[in-house]
Amino acid sequence: MPFEYIKMDKEALKFIDTIEEISGSNVYLCYDCGKCSSGCAFVYKMDLTVNQVISYIKTGQKEKVLSANSPWVCSSCLTCTVRCPREVDIAAVMEAVREYTLRNEPERLKRIELTDEMKKNLPNIALVGSYRKKSEL
Amino acid sequence: MKYSYFPGCNLKTNSVGFEETAIAVSKKLNAELVEMPEWNCCGTIHTQTTDNLMKRIAPVRNLARAAEHVKNLENSSKEVIHKQVVTLCSMCNSTLKIVNAEVKEDTDKLEPINWQLEYDNLEYKGDMEVKHFLEILRDDIGYETIMESVEKPLKGMRIASYYGCMLLHPEIAKIDDQEAPTVMESIVQALGAEVIDWPFFKFCCGSYHIVGEEDLVNIQVHTLIDAAKKRNANSIIVACPLCRYNLEHEQIELIKNGKMKNSLPIFYFTQLMALALGIKPMKLYHFEEHLVNPKPFLKELGLIGRKKSK
Repeated sequence: MPFEYIKMDKEALKFIDTIEEISGSNVYLCYDCGKCSSGCAFVYKMDLTVNQVISYIKTGQKEKVLSANSPWVCSSCLTCTVRCPREVDIAAVMEAVREYTLRNEPERLKRIELTDEMKKNLPNIALVGSYRKKSEL
Repeated sequence: MKYSYFPGCNLKTNSVGFEETAIAVSKKLNAELVEMPEWNCCGTIHTQTTDNLMKRIAPVRNLARAAEHVKNLENSSKEVIHKQVVTLCSMCNSTLKIVNAEVKEDTDKLEPINWQLEYDNLEYKGDMEVKHFLEILRDDIGYETIMESVEKPLKGMRIASYYGCMLLHPEIAKIDDQEAPTVMESIVQALGAEVIDWPFFKFCCGSYHIVGEEDLVNIQVHTLIDAAKKRNANSIIVACPLCRYNLEHEQIELIKNGKMKNSLPIFYFTQLMALALGIKPMKLYHFEEHLVNPKPFLKELGLIGRKKSK
């Protein structure tokens, strides 16, 4: 079996602290049962499953977490949060990863061109929601 | 009985039918929804970050205004008004409920927000409760009263109730049991339609991904509609303007791409209630807002139209 060494240096610890501070949730509570991933409506689109993301955060593997598309596919439906047996606010951790990225690299912000048809028909909450979740403010 | 009511932006732009039918229904059932003055954005979608109070100002301001509105209503109508603000949109419901619970629990959060509200001469004391209209229908009005006031039972409709995420999530904002809710089903039953039991009642429709990442929403909606059709449903009811838009818009796309043959009409629960309670005129329903036109379906069942004047 291939294996790799995990280096828990200062940077890794700081990453974990920041994520915990933004989300207000303790990731160390997670015992990797996978209930979040099995209930997730979008998990088939994710590079890393939900509990993998939590697990990588626990071990401070910042690069892997930040390069995954999982937090950006998450639609904050909170199914994982309400089902977690350890009461980790998983959706908030996903949001924290998004916020971490956007606060440190605002250039990753995606600009979406809206067509006239979209401007006319799209519900306001879709526009505001998308702007709030995928932009810095 | 009167209730202070917070509409939210969508009910004034592209879900007018939702609001107008709800108000008509509430008047008929003696639980009138009175719109609160000077409301602003509810602060959708609720932020899950803990270190950002900015995003909580908008909901708290609404709650403070609602508290004033309740006082004014009490003075003018001389009856006891509950210290509640009623919402219709499920997104507003969840945002206001979450923030309300947060600031009630933690006064350290409420204080700096109240400093911001000083400009408006407002102060929120943490004394309001947020309720969804479905909760009012269940707890204050009761299914029996609804059943008694039905004039035109919705015979022939087989309805799948789609709650979406925000009526049931998170724990502090839920209106019913999170894994087995019954509010919408009970109302459907009271209206004389057939209840369709399906497991996808809170399977996320894709929400705000409709902006920019439509393919995600497309797959979700395909799953949802297929499941509803398999269980022999002929319509779906929702309580969220975004769910309605996603379900309708993506059905049209699916038909265009040949992945689906016919579409299911999507209704707000208040539209069907109004229909069953015999509320007129038809312009209240604003069926023209729906991308999937529900009129032919309702005509086929004999629920609208056909004036027998000649």
